[in-house]
Amino acid sequence: MASQQATLAQKDRKAFQDLLSCYELKQLTKGRKVADQILKKYPDHGETMCMKGLILVHLGQRDEGIKLIREGMRKDLTSHICWHVWALVQKGEHKYEEALKSYMQALRFDKDNFNIVRETSVLQTQTRAYESLVESRLHMLRLRPSFRAHWVGLAVAYQLSGNLVEAKRVLEHFQSLLREGPVNDAEYSEFLLFHVHVLEDLGHLQDALAFLDKKSKDRYIVDRTATHTFRARILSKLKNTNKESPQAAEWSTRAESEWRALLDLNPECSDYYQAVLANQGIDLGDLDEDSCTKALALLSEFAVHFPKAYAPRQLALTVAQGDRFRGLAKPYIEVALSKGIPSLFSNLKKLYANPLKCQVIEEIVEDIRASFLVDPASPSEPAKYLWTLYFLAQHYSFLGRHRRALEILNLAVEHTPTLPELYMTKAKVLKRAGDPYGAVRSMDEARKLDGQDRFINTKSGKYRLRAGMVDEAEEILGLFTRKGAATPGADLTEMQALHYLVEVGDAYRRIGKLNLALKKYYAVQKVFEAFREDQYDFHQYSIRKTILLPYFDMLKWEDEVQSHPVYVHAVVSATRIWIRLHDDPSLGKSLQPSAETTDASRKALSKAKKAAHKGNDPSQESQDAANKKVSNQSEDKGLDAPIPKDEDPDGVKMVLADDALERAAKFLATLKESGKRSIDACLANFDVAMRRKKYLQAARALTHAHAVDAQHPQLHLRVVQFGNTGESLWLISVTTKLSVAVSSVSDSIANPVKSVLHETLISLKPEEISLDVFTSQYLQSHSTSPSAILACAQACKFLGNPTEDVESLLFTALKDDIGLSVEDGLRILSYLQCVKSTRAEEFRIACDNKFELSTVFKSSEEQAALRHQCLLEEKEDCDDVETL
Amino acid sequence: MNIRQARVQDLPGMQACNLHNLPENYTMKYYLYHTLTWPSLSYVAEENGRIVGYILAKMEEPEEHDNPEKTEQVPHGHVTSISVLRSYRRLGLAKKLMLQSQEAMSTIYRAAYVSLHVRKSNRAALSLYRDTLGFTVKSIEEKYYADGEDAYAMQLTFSQP
Repeated sequence: MASQQATLAQKDRKAFQDLLSCYELKQLTKGRKVADQILKKYPDHGETMCMKGLILVHLGQRDEGIKLIREGMRKDLTSHICWHVWALVQKGEHKYEEALKSYMQALRFDKDNFNIVRETSVLQTQTRAYESLVESRLHMLRLRPSFRAHWVGLAVAYQLSGNLVEAKRVLEHFQSLLREGPVNDAEYSEFLLFHVHVLEDLGHLQDALAFLDKKSKDRYIVDRTATHTFRARILSKLKNTNKESPQAAEWSTRAESEWRALLDLNPECSDYYQAVLANQGIDLGDLDEDSCTKALALLSEFAVHFPKAYAPRQLALTVAQGDRFRGLAKPYIEVALSKGIPSLFSNLKKLYANPLKCQVIEEIVEDIRASFLVDPASPSEPAKYLWTLYFLAQHYSFLGRHRRALEILNLAVEHTPTLPELYMTKAKVLKRAGDPYGAVRSMDEARKLDGQDRFINTKSGKYRLRAGMVDEAEEILGLFTRKGAATPGADLTEMQALHYLVEVGDAYRRIGKLNLALKKYYAVQKVFEAFREDQYDFHQYSIRKTILLPYFDMLKWEDEVQSHPVYVHAVVSATRIWIRLHDDPSLGKSLQPSAETTDASRKALSKAKKAAHKGNDPSQESQDAANKKVSNQSEDKGLDAPIPKDEDPDGVKMVLADDALERAAKFLATLKESGKRSIDACLANFDVAMRRKKYLQAARALTHAHAVDAQHPQLHLRVVQFGNTGESLWLISVTTKLSVAVSSVSDSIANPVKSVLHETLISLKPEEISLDVFTSQYLQSHSTSPSAILACAQACKFLGNPTEDVESLLFTALKDDIGLSVEDGLRILSYLQCVKSTRAEEFRIACDNKFELSTVFKSSEEQAALRHQCLLEEKEDCDDVETL
Repeated sequence: MNIRQARVQDLPGMQACNLHNLPENYTMKYYLYHTLTWPSLSYVAEENGRIVGYILAKMEEPEEHDNPEKTEQVPHGHVTSISVLRSYRRLGLAKKLMLQSQEAMSTIYRAAYVSLHVRKSNRAALSLYRDTLGFTVKSIEEKYYADGEDAYAMQLTFSQP
């Protein structure tokens, strides 16, 4: 091997050293010249080829550089330099697993290269290879034992790998090396808190407490809140784990005084109140008459002690029942209405889970309103009167009494026509009642009353999106996005506005622009990928800073970040679109733009690009500065693969993809464990797996769905589908319904698999009953649920029941004793339209009559006219402004 | 209502709150940078599990290689961003959040004062900082904001503990 590779003569070795230092000093053009000189003499020198390739990548000639690096590697597979270069390139492409392997290769040939070991440790953290991280950290410490950060790094590695005993040993050794740390130093203080935490997690509670007390007394730990919190928590643990100890009472008293000290610092933290109560043996989740009385006594004592705090009063409202509740709620509501606190309703809403409390609140507020009725034209406290009406409107709307809510709001608007909150609430009521167009108009009125407020602007944009007015939404949102961005949407995407991406994706989906909807759902994925990427620089930064507890929090958060509801929603919605594209191959073609629209959109795009110019943006500047501080200067930067230009910005090519199901499966797989906890994700998983004939996967998805919500109507439908497929496939030998056509598919399923599928099915449905009976039983036990009616209709249709039966089943959802909501109605209508039912129109009109305030059940022409009307009003207003 | 120190897990909620309320927005890494560097300076107000208000704050430490003219600089706190959802106003949340952060700046980092920027046109915020919290206007920074609006640079000096 070695003989094949070119060996440099003494003086040329010097030139190679020059090349390396040119690179280190980022003298890239000079470095390239030196490399060229060496290569002239030794065209096969692998290391020089790799170094030159690396320089080319830095210089922006990425493809050429990578090609050269590959060639260089082939010449010299035993050089740590070649492997190191390759690792850097892979890291730049965020292929961390692969980069890690290359670093390990590099270490085989240069095992004590500190830089390589250090970079390996970062990648091991990024990829959560904590066992090998410990090895790397030990190695770093052996190589450079005098660096404090390496002791910290080793302790962190042990903690991450779950070896707390060793973590403690390292920390103690480090303490003895340090002798005296800096006093009044916030970073060292954080480090000591980590030490306490390790002791606490080990269960060495007394040691942890002693350490904490000593270090805070000597001013090494300077964070008062943290000190009290740790002390309180450890004392509580001591008490709870040693109930028989003679010290238990003392620990309890001390714990309570710590929690009370925390309350003095922050009387608005409800966690502290709950901790004080828990310390006295009162569990708010499990109260009896006695503990309830005790809790209320304590909370009222706190309410006196902290007269300005809301938290103890609010907690008391959740605890109190019956007359005691009424006694507390009345003054609480009176004061809030007098002060005009707009959030009063959202604050009390959680109490509505208890219908009695809901009733009492209604009575209290209606009484207050009645007290004004003596002379409503000029009430003694006009503001209070207004906020009372505002509360009642929200109250009735929440209970579904939209008409009453609107009547009250009209009174309020008559009284004070300039309060944006009234129009915002009206918009919300209309939206709930199924009139998205009226909601847009009302929210716009609110917006015009306070054009400076981004919150109303955001709502206004959202309401337009809900009404299918995507361009109009963008226009409004653009009033607050950076003028330098190509489009308002581009700024919101860059700023990771997840609420926007999801709403706009859903809006496109509803108006049938599936290509654009998909693009938005994948934009959500990109935001979460960026979140995952964000942690990278902190692996070294946090150890350098010795601020570790929040760092561990971050690692945990990163591991779970894709369980965020917005992410799950994006994945499931995208999957639904992929399934539609798969089921109807003509759909993708129908989404292709006509020649003139592409031309128009190109023009619009170039116009937007021209408009885009970067203004000086202080928030951007400070963010850049922060990034510099976080990133490690000694590490190789500038190798990040450039973001490829989006060749398909409107997704029109994407919707033609012939691997729709594979793409859906890939997107679903990113949910990992969290996919099992979401019923929607489980169902989507099942639908994709069945179409891909991956029956085991489908079975698993059903089992997970069953664990989340065994009675979910859509799960019932899936079980029927699964059972029905099973009858023709894996149960074939049982039923002996042999047919040549299916037997070939059936034969392709191995017998052990068949039995797993069978087991799954009988765990979901009693074996002895047929799918028809299974469905009618389900319907019987959920006869008043519109979702169940829909699911059963779908199941009947699937089982081949006559269309008339399916339709008449769906029409039962209109009966008075069934609590059909606007959304349910829309879902059923959309299903009827989807199966091309002749009674769809009849259902639409019935819903239109049933939901008097709604407009979503109008014909599409009528809805287009309503949308148009919103725009006209908007335009008239613009004209008004101009004439002013 | 629950006011407590911000944790990493709260950052998406804080980001969403910021995007709903203010025109100055930041990507997640900047939030992480704050929480992982000054974990005790940022606070959130939470209602029914939702972040309805937040303060995102940091320290400015004098650095050796800074402009020599600034050598008299002392460590001070800086409010990067503070906001409360419109529907949760009039509860005094901004004030409560600010006081929590100020307390930490002063006791943990020995900050001499806290600074912040506010839009010239934002009268409600100006009144909160000046009248309720005791800030004073130190200077006007022209065209501070991306859209060309001026900022008031405001400060509040801490009484020495």
